[in-house]
Amino acid sequence: MTELLSVEDLNFSWGSNEVLKGISFSIKSNEVVAILGVNGAGKSTLIKCINRILKMNSGTVKIQSLDLTSLNLIELSKRMSYVPQTVRTSFSIDVFDVVLLGRRPHINWRVSANDQKIVSETLRFLSLEDFAFRRFDQLSGGERQRVIVAKAIAQGANLLLMDEPTSDLDLKNQISTMKNIVQLISESDDKSALIAIHDINIAARFADRIILLHDGKIVSDGLPSEVLTSENIGMVFGVTSQIISRTDEQPMRIVVGDEIEEK
Amino acid sequence: MDDLSLQHIRKSKQHTLLILLISLATFLFAIYSMGTGSSSNLGFWTTVKIILGLDEGTELQSAIIWKLRFPRVLMAIVGGAALATAGALMQGALGNPLVSPLTMGVASGAALGAALAIVVGWSFVDNDLAIVLNAFLFSLLVVFIIIQLGKMRSISAESYILVGIAITFISGAIVSTLQYFATDAQLSALAHWSFGSLSRPTLENAVYVSMSLVILMPTALKWSWDLNALSMGGDEFAISTGVDPVSTRKNILILSALMTSIVIAFTGLIGFVGLAAPHMSRLFVGTDFRKLIPCSAVLGSMLMLFADTVGRTLFAPIVIPVGIMLSVIGGPFFLYLLLKKQGAKL
Repeated sequence: MTELLSVEDLNFSWGSNEVLKGISFSIKSNEVVAILGVNGAGKSTLIKCINRILKMNSGTVKIQSLDLTSLNLIELSKRMSYVPQTVRTSFSIDVFDVVLLGRRPHINWRVSANDQKIVSETLRFLSLEDFAFRRFDQLSGGERQRVIVAKAIAQGANLLLMDEPTSDLDLKNQISTMKNIVQLISESDDKSALIAIHDINIAARFADRIILLHDGKIVSDGLPSEVLTSENIGMVFGVTSQIISRTDEQPMRIVVGDEIEEK
Repeated sequence: MDDLSLQHIRKSKQHTLLILLISLATFLFAIYSMGTGSSSNLGFWTTVKIILGLDEGTELQSAIIWKLRFPRVLMAIVGGAALATAGALMQGALGNPLVSPLTMGVASGAALGAALAIVVGWSFVDNDLAIVLNAFLFSLLVVFIIIQLGKMRSISAESYILVGIAITFISGAIVSTLQYFATDAQLSALAHWSFGSLSRPTLENAVYVSMSLVILMPTALKWSWDLNALSMGGDEFAISTGVDPVSTRKNILILSALMTSIVIAFTGLIGFVGLAAPHMSRLFVGTDFRKLIPCSAVLGSMLMLFADTVGRTLFAPIVIPVGIMLSVIGGPFFLYLLLKKQGAKL
């Protein structure tokens, strides 16, 4: 597997508040990587620094061996797409056109038949074809989230950056959307996903790798079974937990217990 | 091709057809308008014949059509198109449906320039163009402020609006002070300028505005995709689709401020068309800026032409300025459309 993304010594602060401290990791092709951490750990900030929405204070980010700063936004968005936590709409358009915006880096003015085909296929892939000609602002929060995931997929980028893509979804759609993402990555040669997520069981089930963020630093990075230990979960989330290992019949599960009393 | 793509293409074609129909209606109404007025009503076909040179008409009829009404009709068409396009661009770039070409302070700058020329006699030239030139230069001053603001990376859409409001207040205060010391004749001239009228621009002026529109309009259309991304999901969403929200917003605001300046320097303050035409267009073609910009332009032309024609025929020979008529006719019609569309929600 070739290296798709590399992050070296990334630092970011809001004023004097250091949010990310010396973050380094890399992602290979065909990997689904989850970032876990408590609220305010820097998960969203890390994704926004990689996507150049936020300007890091120092460090190097490379996508397909190209320095992030050497790419213009069009070139960058052909290589990475982004699903924000929420989308604030001023003027709403049809779902088909929202997903078509994912093709924006590939088209100037005229929409090609291929762009239309990709949008249609993506809508079907995420079972959104019934919503295609409904206005985006008339959808529920969960439906909107799936449309934005569809837009990111239609973009055809190598790296999907997703910030809590299942936070507004019901249980069934959480599972189906994550399955869609895993299927997309596993069926392609050169795609990966970096997903900030708050549900450790979803991460344990669908991620190939987990990066655990705590206090702006990576405290653990590896296979779900290596990262999601009771000790790590206690240290990062401040709760007791019981780990049920993966079997042929069921995925790895974490049963969360009580808060750990601070000494 | 799959059924979803076909449905998308069909919808897009319907919108294009609708825009062409409004354009055709505007063109036909323009001919009617050229034959209609306080001095003589020629009828549609007589006007067509005179325009095509098939019927010379009387010398007077021909002069009325070509020298009096044609410049006015042309200015209504291009002025309405420019102001409506500017309104659509500004609303999209700032993500705010309440914004119009007057919000950014461009019109207030123009009013200040006109007031300085009328009351103080301060201008770069000493002829009939003094007011026009002053209005244009002072509105350009506001464009310059927008450019300077755009250099700040952290400037948000809300900040642009607040600065526009501040400029409006400052210019308004200076204009009020000038009015306080003005003579009755100067006050009358200033009030007349602020009404917004199509009786002032000459054919030469209308041609200048047309040429500007021909140059600026393709640029506006070129930014349709960027506006879609920006108005659909805000700055983060725009960046993720390859659009730089800061530079895009700055460029679009400069373009729309320029469009506004060029028109109101000749016509005086006309604001309503820039607010209403984009909203009406949204009801017809939705919010996709690839269709919204051309639809706003033709609807802006239609509104301006209709308001001016009614303004100069309703109480003929008295001519009511188009700025007033636009609000009188367009306001209730705009409210009706909004209430009809959103009736279920209200």
